[in-house]
Amino acid sequence: MMELEALQEINAEITALGARLVAITPELERYTRNVHRKLNLTFDILTDLHLKTAEQFGLVFVLSDYLRDLYKSYGHTLDRFNDESEYRLPMPARYVIDQGRTIRGAEVNADYTIRPEPSDTLGLLQTLTSGLSSLQKYCR
Amino acid sequence: MANLQYRLDEFKRTFESGAPPYNVPPEAIKTMHRGTIELKASGAENRALMIGAPAPAFTLFNQDHVLVASDDLLREGPLVVGFFRGHW
Repeated sequence: MMELEALQEINAEITALGARLVAITPELERYTRNVHRKLNLTFDILTDLHLKTAEQFGLVFVLSDYLRDLYKSYGHTLDRFNDESEYRLPMPARYVIDQGRTIRGAEVNADYTIRPEPSDTLGLLQTLTSGLSSLQKYCR
Repeated sequence: MANLQYRLDEFKRTFESGAPPYNVPPEAIKTMHRGTIELKASGAENRALMIGAPAPAFTLFNQDHVLVASDDLLREGPLVVGFFRGHW
């Protein structure tokens, strides 16, 4: 939630650079809809049902039994929120992809309490888009 | 506005103190730490796609049940993709 809010704070700047932002989560649409409204997001939250996309990015892990039991005791049942009976989750990650579909930024952390700074992502986008415009000038 | 990691660290401090409103018992904190340490040690991070790799394409439903395709977004410009476990 805090990261979504922080990304919302820079979304206007991302858009101004001609770039786009999306969030991807295994949560079902009825929950993403609530979060989207609550935080007044101007970017989409996409539902990655059964972690198909997260798997392709190599981000999926299985919760160990003791964490599964702990989360269940708090009512954070992944069957309910994610239709995920195997108790798998994605590691939090932020990727920057260029228009040639190459990954230009990759921040992945197994410690979910550590997240990359949105300002660093903006900096990378600035580099990418300024490189692009000078290339376009060169081509003309 | 303070940077994101500062805000996260502040939250973590409150959460792990066991104080209200979360009232998390110390054993639960210990269990969460164990999970993080073991996941780190498993090398899971090294199996994730890295800089230079081609990005997989995706087409997924957004919060309003509209299909969104990465290829359509990339036609407009570079794309930032954040992966999240959920709202909890």
